[in-house]
Amino acid sequence: MSVAELLARCGRAVRGAALHAGRAGILFFVTVKALGRPRAWLSESFVQAKRIGVEGLGLVLLMGALSGVVMAQQTSNQLSPGLPVEIVAGGVVAGMLTELGPVLTAIVLAGRMGAGIGAELGTMKVTNQIDALLTLGRDPVIELVVPRVVAGTIILVPLVIMANAMGIFSGYAISTTLLGLTPEQYASGARGYYHHGALIYSLVKAVAFGFTITFTASYVGLRAGGGAAGVGRTATAAVVAIIVWIMVLDVVLAPVYKAVT
Amino acid sequence: MIEITDLHKKLGGHPVLAGVNLRVAEGETLAIMGPSGTGKSVLLKHIVGLMDPDRGDVIVDGISVPSADREGIGEVRSRIAYVFQNSALFDSLTVRGNLFMGLPPGACDGRVPECTAMARTALEQVNLSDDVLELLPAELSGGMQRRVAIARAIIGKRRYILYDEPTTGLDPINATRINELIARVSREVEATSIIVTHDIESAFFLADRVVLLSGGLVQAEGTPDELRETDHPAVREFLDAAPVAGVA
Ligand SMILES: Nc1ncnc2c1ncn2[C@@H]1O[C@H](COP(=O)(O)OP(=O)(O)OP(=O)(O)O)[C@@H](O)[C@H]1O
Ligand SMILES: [Mg+2]
Repeated sequence: MSVAELLARCGRAVRGAALHAGRAGILFFVTVKALGRPRAWLSESFVQAKRIGVEGLGLVLLMGALSGVVMAQQTSNQLSPGLPVEIVAGGVVAGMLTELGPVLTAIVLAGRMGAGIGAELGTMKVTNQIDALLTLGRDPVIELVVPRVVAGTIILVPLVIMANAMGIFSGYAISTTLLGLTPEQYASGARGYYHHGALIYSLVKAVAFGFTITFTASYVGLRAGGGAAGVGRTATAAVVAIIVWIMVLDVVLAPVYKAVT
Repeated sequence: MIEITDLHKKLGGHPVLAGVNLRVAEGETLAIMGPSGTGKSVLLKHIVGLMDPDRGDVIVDGISVPSADREGIGEVRSRIAYVFQNSALFDSLTVRGNLFMGLPPGACDGRVPECTAMARTALEQVNLSDDVLELLPAELSGGMQRRVAIARAIIGKRRYILYDEPTTGLDPINATRINELIARVSREVEATSIIVTHDIESAFFLADRVVLLSGGLVQAEGTPDELRETDHPAVREFLDAAPVAGVA
């Protein structure tokens, strides 16, 4: 590849990214503006929240349980002799609240609700249902995007809380059965680490990730094209974009947390 | 009245519409014919502002669609019903929900019985029984979906109805039924209709005036009788290619 070609490619990539940023910015603006008319989206938001919650709950609990076990074992493995075993519980609580709870919940839901929203809106786009909404005097952002974004942003909070609780509980179970901690040691280790800041950080992440998943999926879905195959590609593209954004956000939020606590 | 002047649109680098001029008078039924891919659907989308022209204008009852603001577009859309080529029913909503969407936003809030009565009437007009009210589009046959789409278009009693290939993909019996339905609906709701179709027979059956769109331009227009008689080469080529029209 020649230098000129490379430059041309970079140019196209930058231009594409700028276009996406602009369009997503417009969708963001329109979405936020529509929040001012809750009557238009409130009842549909409940429907969506219930659907997302019911569909995601089992998987989220399973992921929470597994990550609690992993955190307990990994922390226990790192323990050099002489260090208090209570650290295991601290490792579980810290790991669950700050990273595993919110991030794994978000990644599981990227696959579930992100792909679902991307495919659903993508199908509506390629089968002219979005155009039909417009010609019938409805606003697709209010009818489709806002309820999903509101529902996803809110519902992630209880889901993350449940994932955290599940992880801390499964960490307790494995610590007291296989890793040689007494219940009292686990409890005191957990209490020793826990502070409100960590929980708040966990929930801030839940809100940020919930928004990211639903907004990104809606944006990608509404841009679908190319028939049924296009919808498949759209669902995949939505999941990939969501996971990348979640990890980027995760990196960005870490120093903020450190500065605040 | 709908007035289209000098409409130009390029898509994917190719000129699709290259200066279309067209006028649709109040109460008229106009058929637009033309080979596949000549921009018939694209033309309809310009009328409701789903696409913006590169050049030219579309004026609906005095409102210029390309330069209208949000409110103007809303006003234009409130006067036009659009039956999409693939029906475009909302697949998460039942037939009832779909028909309610044909009414103005908020019209059914707290007025479900009244709206349901209107939905029943609309279904009756398209020869469907109200057993289908609670069914989802996926539970209907293609022909029934098409009829629900037409019912959704007429329930709001809009002034203009645009049909994009309402009979394509249907068997001859269902196609004939849909044609008769459109003819009856045009009479009953006194709407101005634009029907895009490949089907020469149905165009000649339904329309007061027929337009042949090809190569991005209106090649010919006239009453069905005028077009049958003409020796315009593009029209002859189009008509003679279809066996049914040869008989007509
Ligand atoms: N959104 C779009 N992006 C790019 N090209 C498009 C788009 N919509 C339509 N086209 C192109 O414009 C041309 C006209 O399309 P259109 O759908 O209007 O044809 P048509 O006359 O309705 O055909 P048919 O009778 O098969 O429905 C086609 O070549 C199509 O590929
Ligand atoms: Mg078409």
